[in-house]
Amino acid sequence: MNLYQQLRAITERFLEVSTSDPDDARRGRITNIILGVLGLISVSGVITTVLLTIIGVLSLNDAPAIFLSSLATGFGAVIIYLINRYRSGVIASTLLILLTMAAMSFADTPENLIGRSLFLFIFPPIFASVLLGSRATFPFFILASIQLVIISVVAGLPPYEPIFAILTFLLVAFISWLSSRGLEQALTDLRGINANLDQLVVERTQALAEALTRERIEAGRGQAILNSIADGVIVFDLNGRAIQVNPSLTQLIETPAVDILGSTMAQISSSQALNAANQKTLSGLLSEPGEQLTSQRIEWGRKTLSVSSAQVLDSENSLIGTVAVFRDYTQEAEVERMKNTFLGIVSHELRTPLNAILGYAEMFKEGVYGIVNSSQIKSSARIMANTQRLLGIVNDLLDHTRMEAGKVTIQMRSFRLRELVENVDALLDKPAREKGLKLISELDNTLPETIIGDPARLQQVMVNLVNNAIKYTDKGSVRVQAYEIDKRHWGISVTDTGHGIPQEKIPAMFEAFRQGDSGSTREAGGFGLGLAIVKQLVELMDGEISVESQVDVGSTFTVIMPLITDS
Amino acid sequence: MDDLALIIEDDEDLSIIFAEAVRNAGYQVEMIRDGQSAQKRLKEANPDLIILDMHLPHVSGPDLFNQIQEDKRMKDCIVVIATADARMGDAYTTKADFVLIKPISYVQLRDLTARLKNNSEDAY
Repeated sequence: MNLYQQLRAITERFLEVSTSDPDDARRGRITNIILGVLGLISVSGVITTVLLTIIGVLSLNDAPAIFLSSLATGFGAVIIYLINRYRSGVIASTLLILLTMAAMSFADTPENLIGRSLFLFIFPPIFASVLLGSRATFPFFILASIQLVIISVVAGLPPYEPIFAILTFLLVAFISWLSSRGLEQALTDLRGINANLDQLVVERTQALAEALTRERIEAGRGQAILNSIADGVIVFDLNGRAIQVNPSLTQLIETPAVDILGSTMAQISSSQALNAANQKTLSGLLSEPGEQLTSQRIEWGRKTLSVSSAQVLDSENSLIGTVAVFRDYTQEAEVERMKNTFLGIVSHELRTPLNAILGYAEMFKEGVYGIVNSSQIKSSARIMANTQRLLGIVNDLLDHTRMEAGKVTIQMRSFRLRELVENVDALLDKPAREKGLKLISELDNTLPETIIGDPARLQQVMVNLVNNAIKYTDKGSVRVQAYEIDKRHWGISVTDTGHGIPQEKIPAMFEAFRQGDSGSTREAGGFGLGLAIVKQLVELMDGEISVESQVDVGSTFTVIMPLITDS
Repeated sequence: MDDLALIIEDDEDLSIIFAEAVRNAGYQVEMIRDGQSAQKRLKEANPDLIILDMHLPHVSGPDLFNQIQEDKRMKDCIVVIATADARMGDAYTTKADFVLIKPISYVQLRDLTARLKNNSEDAY
């Protein structure tokens, strides 16, 4: 600390006033400055008096008075300083001004005070406005005026002698009051602003603290939930980098969290040697979160995982990231695979002997093994019909299995609609006639000659529907219609005059292993798979199927397909 | 000499039925029950008709089919594919002379091959 700083510190300590009011503190400091100056004047007065007396400039008669008055000034200054510092600034300032006024009365002869020293009386109101505040300006102006009047009387002059001076002083007092008041007002405003700012800072700090606490609680709760669920979860930020994982995920993909955090899905999956198709599925899933309604299956090492994704939105609904959920599907996938393999083998193994039974019965009926009589022909025909029925069931089961396994594919090509309708008519005209039914096929001429679709699958759908219609109709007709609905759709309807389906049975009609009426299961045969397969096929081709029916009047099955043409 | 027909089919009963049908159509019939034997036999025999199952042990039906296609001696040989797989059948509709989807009826095969026999006789 250098000398200047030390002096500054000492001065600061000397000027310091103990008060909480900043206005009082300001005034107290000014009072202390004045008192300090007064103290210096009194000390120099004492020293000067002693020196002048020693060198003989000042006579010994005058010296004691000046010496004592200087000493008294200094003493007074110390007293007032102590009052100002430890008691009250107002009392100290009032005392200082009053003592100054008293001193002023003896500063000159009464005549000269009214004359050449008249300017002195301008100081009390100015002092008051500075040291005591604007409110003290006018009282001290009045005090000073009374003092002037008294001095005027003492000097033998009329009491109204200093009237012009007093009026001038009033003007000065007024200006002094104005400036002091302006300063006070400005300081009050400033303090108001400061107080508001302080309040604002306090409020903001509190809000921030609350938000942080809330977030910490919520984050903690969210993490606890994430940690406790069995599904693997990764959260990605908007740049596609992993920002959060749960323990289930690290176990599922056998990778520590540190290797996952900060990486993109592509980096994670390529490090796990996922094949290209699975990587593509994953990246597609994450680039369009929530687009895929069902979860996707991927092969991850030796495991099969079911993956789904969703957008992460904040409270204002703006996108902040993506969450991917992984579920271990290995066991289910294995069971599914075994089920499909089993059904596939069973169906194949069933079909071959059935084909053999059919062939032997046919050969027997055809007389390959010798001449047969009419009842033998009839019996072999029964064997063949029942074998065909069994084959139909096995075929349905095989189709259903393939469909469930997602192995059925749609092969789109250009084909002639007329051919499709004629094929179905040719295939089923005979069975319809055998039951005494009329099969009517109609093709709407407004439909284009060739359209794009999978004719084999469409034929399968139509054959199934017409077969059903024949099966459940005892008399009347089965009508097949193909027609245009609008520029983008065409329809197939199969209408029969059969038993009809009770309304309450309709919703379950397209489910596997169900039939409209359990009574007719025995009557008409079948396994209840046909309509389920039809529905699956239609949906695979982006079509829709519906049914309208009235008991004992008949049913209409309607298939609506997208109309795609070459042009 | 009678026209020669090879029945390449691994199921015993189906090969008996197919053989019976083809024999009744007027062919001399030879039954082969596995892919390997078929491969050997096709190198020396000169059949007029082949009934080919696509699902065979040792050497697959498609491999045998390619062998037949590549062998110039058999360019006039008629190949009838007999398969239970409809998609497999679809794939061969343009390549093979005929495709039959199992179950295959005795009458169906007998009538088809009889027609083929008559056509070949008409050609002479």
